[in-house]
Amino acid sequence: MGNRITIPFGSQHVALPEPIKFVFQTENERITSVEVDVGYVHRGIEKACQTKFKYTQVGYVVARVCGLCSISHTLAYVTAVERLMEVEVPKRALYLRLIVSELDRVHSHLLAMGHTAEVAGYENLFMQTFRYRETVMELLELLTGNRVQYDYACIGGVNRDVTPEVAKTLKERLKELKEKCLWIKDVFENDLTLKYRWKGVGVVTKEMAKEFNVVGPPARAAGLETDCRAEFNYLPFDEVGYKMVVRKGGDIYDRNLVRAYEVLNSIEMVENALDSLPQGEIKVPVKGLPDGESFVRVEAPRGELFYYVKGSKKLVLDRVRIRVPTFANIPVMKELFIGMDYSDVPATVISFDPCLSCTAR
Amino acid sequence: MDLKKFRSKSPWLLHYNTGSCNGCDIEILACLAPKYDLERFGILNRGNPKQSDVLIVTGPVTKRARERLIRLYLEMPEPKVVVAVGACACTGGVFRHMYNVLNGVDKVIPVDVYVPGCAARPEAIIDGVVKALEILERKRKDFVPPKVCKNLEVKEPVNRKFFLEKCLGVKNGS
Repeated sequence: MGNRITIPFGSQHVALPEPIKFVFQTENERITSVEVDVGYVHRGIEKACQTKFKYTQVGYVVARVCGLCSISHTLAYVTAVERLMEVEVPKRALYLRLIVSELDRVHSHLLAMGHTAEVAGYENLFMQTFRYRETVMELLELLTGNRVQYDYACIGGVNRDVTPEVAKTLKERLKELKEKCLWIKDVFENDLTLKYRWKGVGVVTKEMAKEFNVVGPPARAAGLETDCRAEFNYLPFDEVGYKMVVRKGGDIYDRNLVRAYEVLNSIEMVENALDSLPQGEIKVPVKGLPDGESFVRVEAPRGELFYYVKGSKKLVLDRVRIRVPTFANIPVMKELFIGMDYSDVPATVISFDPCLSCTAR
Repeated sequence: MDLKKFRSKSPWLLHYNTGSCNGCDIEILACLAPKYDLERFGILNRGNPKQSDVLIVTGPVTKRARERLIRLYLEMPEPKVVVAVGACACTGGVFRHMYNVLNGVDKVIPVDVYVPGCAARPEAIIDGVVKALEILERKRKDFVPPKVCKNLEVKEPVNRKFFLEKCLGVKNGS
């Protein structure tokens, strides 16, 4: 029987850029119970998609669900509507979508890794990671015209073509970026202090991952082979050299390493896609109204993103349901915290890379 | 050493997300990172409202975030400036008139600088913060400190235990 203290973590906290609230009950710095509250950023997007916006506009609204994985949301919605209306998307548009979504994954993973480093106290590593992330942001700006909200995919194709000059610059800068990412991977893999800090902290075992249905990099770090890019056919990933990254540890260290390896794999995929970019149209005209229902699973940077779309020959859709990766990861987070030291909490929370804007919508 | 003098030389930031899509948040993080480097103005990002001078708000104000935002604003010491970053924080943006949203930040607290854009570019955010620092300087010069009341004469020493007994009408322990 020790000192019992209630510690609120959030909704406004130094380590978190987003409002999430945990209330920890601790006993001698060891957590005995925890409550999670994620509803601070609920805006009512699903309702607005069903009442305010036409089905052609919804793609741009759901991009604003989350700024980090905006292309994944648009991609999922657009794919769902295309399947509903039986639109044949040109091959070139699919390749361009693949390039942007993989570059998006690179920047999101680098941000997550850098943020984990900062929360664990490695300010310099955070700064270095962010400096290298800027290269990807510049590439995305070159390709799509904006740094964060791309609005790149639209129903029937993509909004903007890539010129040969841009493709050439992309290839040159990607080579540069690859070396930097190799250096980052090296630091995250071999640095002794990082290993001491992160190995064996916040362990998700394979059984736990199965039981709680963990998705994304945390699941792959725990040895669970789950990735929508391999399971669901929405973009030609197998043509550009996709490899699944699986590790066994399940701790913070392994989660970061999964991200580091995926970054390298993504850069490789973008290079291959640029080399074998098919010629032709980037957009096809779409006629008619959506009728029926369809669902799509997309691998966002954080894990599986699920979209369900239902229409009945009207301009406004009947139902848009969004299930996001962080929502699937919260139960296991809650389970992990019990019995953990309070000092490990910020690093563990950030290593899951929670995205509350997605979760609360 | 005069604290007032250094407040505009080394202002501290408080960043609160009232329901944005993280787009502007990561741009603010990018501002603090080496390429754009907001820290060259002496600015540090700290999470403590009681030590901050500049409040950066991103996103439309959701109904639950409203209370927190007002509380953070009131906890900050005077003089203070508020910067609304992004189209959503300025007017509500794409989330305008959704059922859980109170549109812009200026519906809840007074805003000094508006930075438009979806998402706001880091250059624009830096411009906005620099403008906010000018406003902070002006506010500091015009600032009239609240008058200190005359010390109350304490007739008898305050005894908490005695006070509670008097209030509750029971003797402690009985």
